[in-house]
Amino acid sequence: MNYSFQYSIVWENFGALLEGAWLTFQLGVLAFAGGALIGLVGASIKTFGPFPLRLIVDAYVIFITNTPALIQIYFLYFGLPEVGVRWSSEACVLIGLILNAGAYLTMILRAGFLSVRRTELEAGLTIGMSILQQIRYIIIPHIAKSIYPALANFFIVILVMGTSIGAVIGVDELTGQAINLSTVNYRWLEYFSVVAVMYVVLTFVASIGLALVGRWAFRVKARIF
Amino acid sequence: MERIIEQIPRFFTPGNLWLLIESAGYTLGMTLVGCLIGFLLAFLLVYIRQTPGYWALPIRFVCIAYVEVFRRIPFLVVIYLVLFFIQTVTTDASLFTIAVIAICLYAIAYTAEIIRGGIESVPRTQIEAAETMNISRLQTTLTVVLPQAWPVIIPPAIAFAVSFIKDTALVSQIGVFELTFRGKELNNQGFSGILVFGTIAMCYFLLSFPLSMLGQYLEKRLATPRGQRRTRKVRHS
Repeated sequence: MNYSFQYSIVWENFGALLEGAWLTFQLGVLAFAGGALIGLVGASIKTFGPFPLRLIVDAYVIFITNTPALIQIYFLYFGLPEVGVRWSSEACVLIGLILNAGAYLTMILRAGFLSVRRTELEAGLTIGMSILQQIRYIIIPHIAKSIYPALANFFIVILVMGTSIGAVIGVDELTGQAINLSTVNYRWLEYFSVVAVMYVVLTFVASIGLALVGRWAFRVKARIF
Repeated sequence: MERIIEQIPRFFTPGNLWLLIESAGYTLGMTLVGCLIGFLLAFLLVYIRQTPGYWALPIRFVCIAYVEVFRRIPFLVVIYLVLFFIQTVTTDASLFTIAVIAICLYAIAYTAEIIRGGIESVPRTQIEAAETMNISRLQTTLTVVLPQAWPVIIPPAIAFAVSFIKDTALVSQIGVFELTFRGKELNNQGFSGILVFGTIAMCYFLLSFPLSMLGQYLEKRLATPRGQRRTRKVRHS
């Protein structure tokens, strides 16, 4: 192996990589938030909803979780323009990720909904809680405690696996920036090793932040490692 | 819309279908080989990681760091790193080999955690009993720990491999002839994107759905560990 590493080029363009990391973070947070909204609605429908709606949610979850996110995004990016829907590549990635995350979060949140015991809801009813109060004081603390680790883990998956797919259709997030920069001067190994380290740092910061939030808000002992 | 309907007979020719089946085989084979090798290597990693004693501290640190780092790097970045690293070492490695190596590296990190969870689910007292009878560590692992850890390890390991079938779509970026790559090729030939990627999505669905069902079935079958089942029987008789 005779390859001389030259990291100086990477440091010259480090600012662009940082911008990419910021976009990655934004995409991850937005996709997770949108997915959580879909997941909440989906899990509520699966638990409380009427029969045909439940079937639709089931079909959505099964179809999305059994096809690759890349194909879903390709479908949005290359397929939809044929019927007149033209989205930018960022929008495609974001919408694709939200739809994808929505399905997985439906499953995760559904597990949380099932962990709430019926008797506890009945107890809430007995002391005169409204539905909203029940959700606020019984269901959410319960769900938060039982599925917070799964949610935090999924956020990391979206942040890393999810957003990097954007690079494939030309979104300038961290991986995309690395591809753009290294096609200029062929320093692939240098750029990608630095990007790998940046991803590790980014996710560690996110993990620690999530663990602190979990401990502060829900008294969950989420593990960072 | 008329364009799609018009293209359907031209798209579903025997040639194209055979191409899709072949590339589905590539996708499946790549995942299977990568995950199997990864699974075996992950065993080794966990075994090394659990070496007792202070002298093994650096080795343990390396094993933990490997798992933690690879779980936090996107698969796409791993693929590119493996591709360009291997090309500096040797120039005649096939893309399929490179893809398998990337899958393998990634699978090690994920399955190592699954295996560790399974091994740690075995009661500590059993290992101590084996130690008391002067059974070596390797023998303890093979004859005491693993037979009891299997039911805990196998279902999530299968679930991981099945979900990884979908993640291997990213390998199309370096030009392995698998499903996604074929899809892009067909799209570039002028077939409608909705038609092509809809079909490719169906192909992935047909690969992934039956296997995930199998995984869920196995999970139910293996839900009660063998040891518990036996003790319950003894208690009743």
